[in-house]
Amino acid sequence: MEINTPSKSLAVSIASLVIFITVWELVCRLGFIEPLFLPAPSQILSRAVKMIENGQLISHTLSSTRRVMVGFMVSSLVAIPFGIFLGSSRFFMAVFDPIISLLRPLPSMSWIPLSLLWLGISETQKYSIVFMGSFAPSLLYIIEATKSIDPLLIRAARNLGASKLDVMREVILPGSLPQIIAGLKVMLGIAWTCIISAELVAAREGLGFMIMNGKEYFQTDTVLLGMVMISITVMVIDVVFRKFERRLLPWTR
Amino acid sequence: MDPVTSDTKIAVQNVTKIFQSRQGKKQAEDVVALKDLSMEVRDGEFLVIVGASGCGKTTLLNLVAGFDSPTDGQILLDGSPVTGITPECGMIFQQYALFPWKTVQENVEFGMKMKRMPHRERKERADRFIDIVGLKGFERSYPHHLSGGMKQRVSIARSLANDPKVMLLDEPFAALDAMTRQVLQEQLVRIYEKHRKTIIFITHSIDEALLLSSRIMVMTARPGRIAQEIVNDLPHPRNADVQLSNRYMELKRMIWDSVQAAVMKSMEVEAD
Repeated sequence: MEINTPSKSLAVSIASLVIFITVWELVCRLGFIEPLFLPAPSQILSRAVKMIENGQLISHTLSSTRRVMVGFMVSSLVAIPFGIFLGSSRFFMAVFDPIISLLRPLPSMSWIPLSLLWLGISETQKYSIVFMGSFAPSLLYIIEATKSIDPLLIRAARNLGASKLDVMREVILPGSLPQIIAGLKVMLGIAWTCIISAELVAAREGLGFMIMNGKEYFQTDTVLLGMVMISITVMVIDVVFRKFERRLLPWTR
Repeated sequence: MDPVTSDTKIAVQNVTKIFQSRQGKKQAEDVVALKDLSMEVRDGEFLVIVGASGCGKTTLLNLVAGFDSPTDGQILLDGSPVTGITPECGMIFQQYALFPWKTVQENVEFGMKMKRMPHRERKERADRFIDIVGLKGFERSYPHHLSGGMKQRVSIARSLANDPKVMLLDEPFAALDAMTRQVLQEQLVRIYEKHRKTIIFITHSIDEALLLSSRIMVMTARPGRIAQEIVNDLPHPRNADVQLSNRYMELKRMIWDSVQAAVMKSMEVEAD
């Protein structure tokens, strides 16, 4: 079949999703798979209804979302100015390069023991995991983005009387913003993996905790519900982010 | 060395510029872009430098603007040496160099914003120069919505609004089609006549040089030097009649001969 309109491709996507869920439902209903290993979509849905009624689903989702957002915002707010500064100064790049190179390969999981030791099972510990997991890669994205600026624009700005600081604020920041945002979108996904792993290890709430707790009580439907919620939340945030992106980059329209 | 006279705006004194090649250590790889070049630009003069590509004319302009510093010799602006990038010398680039994320208005306001000029004054001044280059109504457009000619007009307005003492134009119309180029040339002459800025204009088009200049310098390549200097005495406005006059043809031939000699010489050098 040929797809030549957006509405057609949307229809195909919906059909594909419906078929996927139906096959899954059938396989479970006909008894091919133990519900303990893989519950049917309807079972997950009824678990969702129960958990929405007692408020747990929303509160777990919100606490994970809040942790990701706080950690990610702090990380971005530090990484953007710092990255632009490093991207425009060879000297400071040379100073910080070895430290960044050491930090970058560390998975956020590897920070969990130390963060627990320093901060306990607290909210700050969750934020710090997101921060540590996303800061170094964000910084590298931003430094890379500053290199995409046409040097002629920097010359033109200096020629019009811009100081080096003016150039960073007026030229390098807006000029690399499209790439920075593209990088941060990827980082937002990584921030989610950070928080879920932190919650799987030690937490009292959050989607990661919900998944782990479901497993403890052999509630496989809760486990799957937690996973589905992660997907949905990330998708929703992605849509919001895209709206935000358009407002930030009016000249790319 | 000639003493600098009072109406000298820019004095280039025995300037040599050598670009060291980065590969290897062989001295022979160094490129001598300019060699012992001296010249003067008088206040309010429209100087056009003509030369084949690679003759070092852009290098010379970059030195005047302070983007680069000479290997030897010095450049004086109003009697004091140029030591760094200075907004006194407004540069117009062939590739326009507009900020894509700023509207026409914001681009034109840029230099004034850097001077921390109050918002209202900035806007009024920008409006005036946008009007001068004929772009009223496009204040809120982004550069990628504009044609090449319009972009270059924004760039000229941006430079004028910053009120430089000298305007440096590096083949500003080379990327434009012939019609647009002609319109912009006429506009530039009008702006020059009204604002009397000192202008150094680089081109490889002899016709463009004859149409615009009050004085023409022909540059030769490798090493870049000034081969010939011609005072352009053609009457204004330089319309079709002037362009068909004997004097025009005479000047054109004169310039062509020295440009051609320079090109032939550089081709021989390359063949060696």
